[in-house]
Amino acid sequence: MATRTDNEIRELSPEEWDQRVDEQARKRLGMSGEEFERRLNAGEIDIDDSPDVTRVAMMLPLHATHK
Amino acid sequence: MLSCVTSVHVVVRAYHLSDAPHELELADTAKMRGGPLSIDVSEEYEVRHDAEGWRVEVRGYLYAIGYEGRELVSYHWHPSGNSPITWPHMHVGANIQVGDRWLGKVHLPTGAVGLERVLAMVITELGAKPLREDWERLIHEAAAR
Repeated sequence: MATRTDNEIRELSPEEWDQRVDEQARKRLGMSGEEFERRLNAGEIDIDDSPDVTRVAMMLPLHATHK
Repeated sequence: MLSCVTSVHVVVRAYHLSDAPHELELADTAKMRGGPLSIDVSEEYEVRHDAEGWRVEVRGYLYAIGYEGRELVSYHWHPSGNSPITWPHMHVGANIQVGDRWLGKVHLPTGAVGLERVLAMVITELGAKPLREDWERLIHEAAAR
């Protein structure tokens, strides 16, 4: 399964991506990206808790291999 | 292919070969033409290089369709992590109680769902207006890969 897009693509640096995660976590969940990642990894938040949680969790680099 | 329904740009974390997946997503929730429909897209993907050349393979996804600002249906695959739900599944935005559970929280099993099938559904069955005349060709090409 592969995805192709003709939309404009912007590659973000790791720092820019982290900033984007932080912005989205604050906007959607009212917490910093760092706090969200910590609580997700601690099991306090489940990735399927809400659409916004899933959306931000999917942005976390390596979220699939942290555990 | 996303250009069939939106002009919102895509942000990616990286393109390079790596042991761990990279992430991409639509930069914003995309409102679709033809009604109060919207779509969110996130994917985890791996970049591979083998004898057949370079290839990008989807390793996880979130495809969420919204209607009037509320999530109508979402397709998820987050194969590892804290969640015990490692298989592809979907959630429906149905406000129905099933015993002490809300149907919207139930993980409805699916096979792996390609983004092209989701885009085809929103156009042919939910009434989103495609932004490109060649949307069917693009979707068929994506399905064939």
